[in-house]
Amino acid sequence: MTYDASVRKDRDGHTAPLGDRPFWGRVANWGPYRAFLAILTASPRRQFIILAAFPILWLLTQHLGPMLQMLRVSLIDAYPVAPGTPQAFTFDSYMRFFGDRIFWQPFFRTLTFAAVFTFCTLILTYPVAYFLARHVSRKNQMLMLLLLLIPFWVGEIVRTYAIMILLGNTGAVNLALKWLGLIDRPIPFMYTSFSMGIGIVYLTALYMLLPLYSALEKLPQSMNEAAADLGAGAWTRFRRISLPLTIEGISSGCILVFLISTGFYATPVLLGGPSTTVFPETIAGFFHVAGDEWPTGAAFAVIMFATALVITGVFQKVMNMLRKGDTK
Amino acid sequence: MNRRVELNRGNRIFLACVYWAFVLYVFVPLILMIVMGFKDSKFIGFPIRSWTLDWYTGVFSDAEVLYTFGYSVVIASLSTLISVIVGTWIAVLLEGRKFWGRAVTFGLMVLPALVPGIISAIAFRIYARMLGVEPGMGAIIWAHAVHNVPFVTLVVMARLSTLPKSQIEAARDLGADPLMAFMRITLPYLVPAILGASVFCLLLSFDDFVRSFFLGGYDPTLPVLIFAMLRSGMSPEINAIATVALVLTAAIGIWAERFTRRANKESQT
Amino acid sequence: MTKLLMNRRRFIGTTALAGAAVASPAYLRRASAQGSGEVNIWTYNDFVPESFKEQFESETGIKVNVRLVDDQGKQFNLLAAEQPNPTVDIMTVAGHRFLQFIDSELLAPLDTSRLTNWGNINPTFSESDWSTINGEKWGAPILSGMEVLSYNTELVSQEEAMTWNTLFSEKYSGQTAYIIQDMMSIVMLKLGYDGNMVEYMDDPEKAAAIVEEAKQFLIDHKPLVRKYYDSGAEFQQMMVNQDIALGHSWNGPAAALINDGFPLAMTIPNEGTYGFVYTYNVANNAPNVDNAYTFLDAILASPEIGAAMTKASGFISTYKDASNYLTDLEKKSTSFPEEQLANLQFFRAEANEMKYGLVDPAVEAVKAA
Repeated sequence: MTYDASVRKDRDGHTAPLGDRPFWGRVANWGPYRAFLAILTASPRRQFIILAAFPILWLLTQHLGPMLQMLRVSLIDAYPVAPGTPQAFTFDSYMRFFGDRIFWQPFFRTLTFAAVFTFCTLILTYPVAYFLARHVSRKNQMLMLLLLLIPFWVGEIVRTYAIMILLGNTGAVNLALKWLGLIDRPIPFMYTSFSMGIGIVYLTALYMLLPLYSALEKLPQSMNEAAADLGAGAWTRFRRISLPLTIEGISSGCILVFLISTGFYATPVLLGGPSTTVFPETIAGFFHVAGDEWPTGAAFAVIMFATALVITGVFQKVMNMLRKGDTK
Repeated sequence: MNRRVELNRGNRIFLACVYWAFVLYVFVPLILMIVMGFKDSKFIGFPIRSWTLDWYTGVFSDAEVLYTFGYSVVIASLSTLISVIVGTWIAVLLEGRKFWGRAVTFGLMVLPALVPGIISAIAFRIYARMLGVEPGMGAIIWAHAVHNVPFVTLVVMARLSTLPKSQIEAARDLGADPLMAFMRITLPYLVPAILGASVFCLLLSFDDFVRSFFLGGYDPTLPVLIFAMLRSGMSPEINAIATVALVLTAAIGIWAERFTRRANKESQT
Repeated sequence: MTKLLMNRRRFIGTTALAGAAVASPAYLRRASAQGSGEVNIWTYNDFVPESFKEQFESETGIKVNVRLVDDQGKQFNLLAAEQPNPTVDIMTVAGHRFLQFIDSELLAPLDTSRLTNWGNINPTFSESDWSTINGEKWGAPILSGMEVLSYNTELVSQEEAMTWNTLFSEKYSGQTAYIIQDMMSIVMLKLGYDGNMVEYMDDPEKAAAIVEEAKQFLIDHKPLVRKYYDSGAEFQQMMVNQDIALGHSWNGPAAALINDGFPLAMTIPNEGTYGFVYTYNVANNAPNVDNAYTFLDAILASPEIGAAMTKASGFISTYKDASNYLTDLEKKSTSFPEEQLANLQFFRAEANEMKYGLVDPAVEAVKAA
């Protein structure tokens, strides 16, 4: 006789009569449900197939499909095709990148900026996540997290213009500095890598904060307490305990942020200056003009994406080595 | 219950300073946006010589803006629903399991999040045409849903990895079948992650411009409308609209948080 | 200082009056007899006056679906992705982009015999040579824009603004901004060449050399510029924030600043400049061609509609007598002295393939330098 785990017992240990069984109890013992289940769980293999069928289908059609289409566009000679003209397959679009040096500067610049800003975001959000996980009372943590999330709901364009009037020559910062008598002439903050950084870190802080916070939240206090009892100072505790244990959170945050940073378009274009052209801007340029540049744009996008993946792969390997090397 | 380890005063103050500086950094553009909505001019910027309530009151009497806002909310809700279901399913498949092709599956899963927006949007537009899907609300919901799946999956996977296997094993020993075990143990455990992921998805969908533009029809979503209005300059009117949208969505978010907090409390008795 | 702001309500109020002044012409009544349907339009914000749209809908029963685009590139992408059956009937193409759209077979020629109000358009625009390609007309011109030098009158003097060289002077280092692609044409003009490159259509080497020279000029002066921008809103914000003292811009965004009371003025410098025209075009294979022509004819009906478009966008209306319906400030911000207008030419499309084939990589090179 199968024991039904969902059967409630009252305080004296008596089992509830059948008719009083809670909802799940009734479902679990329901004839058709049992039959359905028997089909599903006929074998472990079948269970797995049922579980995996929809996700795999989804991934192939929704995630892979559009990308394959983009890959196809990158390999033909013109898109869209005027009806009646044949399409030829060619690697010309890719060759264009390797053949012309002017594209390399924005390319490497983008990768460099992405790496630098990822690091900045990490440095900035780690203490914030730490503070939130450790020094804010548990029941307020969710609320504070939500409050921090709210400003990110401001649309990117409106927020970017807000940064413009913050940092501009007659912006809030310059006006405040002038009023305080610290400067005579405004400081040109805008349209530099600094202003671009302010905008980008704003976007990426969110993506970094959440993994870091969830990693830090799970840190057992006991280790820190034991170390403190043994005389370790705050910095040592951080370096030897918190940091190694949160490496996975750091790693996944950095990878996510780096990959996303390589794709930013609007913020760098609006907040950057003449010397901060980023690669997505170059790519977008191909999509803004006549149709026969789409394949080049698609090819450049594939190149950028592939490179970013390779870099994160290497980073992941390095992180794994660091973790393995750690004696626990 | 949690005895906090003592940090010396210096460290504590430093940490608190960084935290509040970050909060300030995050809120300043928001405050500027709200303030600019009161400026009596066609453009934003300092100094503000005269003030007006016209822009804010105008938002509530502008049927087009209200309709657009509602449209964006509906799209966000529906696409989040899809993302969450699909993402959780994929997470359950991927987490903790070893099977041939797992790495590739993981890579495919994460793909939409990493492709730059404009590329993804154009790719989807072409793909939609190939499939015969008409631009409009359905197409936007679809594109948003697909784009948000990776975030849901990652968050749910992270949470799932902390579920002690022993709980499932105990349930199975007590006679629960796999589906029951999932519905009654795994799923409730995942609820915080699912809720967090939902909020994130709502945000991403509501704020999305490039997919909504390329896949949309004649009704704009709010970001698309704002972008079009931008052609006439960044105005206090746009700031007022964005502020009102923000307040409404923040209200929904806070209400949702309160609601789940109360629900959690009740289920814990 | 009186409030010069044209806020949304007042704008609708005035255009409603303007709309009411439009008598309901006979052809509209005829059209409504034929039955309704809809017409799909892609255009910029405020190019279709709201009051006109409402009146048109109520008089003809044809539903007007307006989809807002914010630049030509996106519009092209969208249309290209929809081929061969577009969902749009009327698009707003900027004149010098004609060939791109036409060569990709995205537009249908305009049958001007179906537009009884064609004569309401100033012949400078409707009969000029840029608008006739392959013997056909392709669009109805509605608004005219041009590349101007806009400057903050409190910081820059008018004589300084009469030459493009001021943009590249040491005096205003770090206080200028321009759109690189447009600037390439202007620099070529300034250096004494034909910025439309029509003269060099048979001499690609000469064309390449000229582009190279212009490109080098911009690269040499790159340290002096504050920002390369793309959209009018950015330029307006830079002016308001006084991040720049002067710059190259289109007259529309500059006019909007002037109308708002900002101390700005525009000039067409002595070296000359180029103008462009926005047109309403019928898409190839459009789903509602008849309704499209009905709409076009209606929107060309009266100068008040043209004035409403000018008020909203800052660009100059192509309709005859539209300026009679503008306020003094609006007239000031949409007109130029005769001497300056003499230096204005229009962008031409014939050599565009060669031209932009050379200019686009040059723009990338300037950005990357």
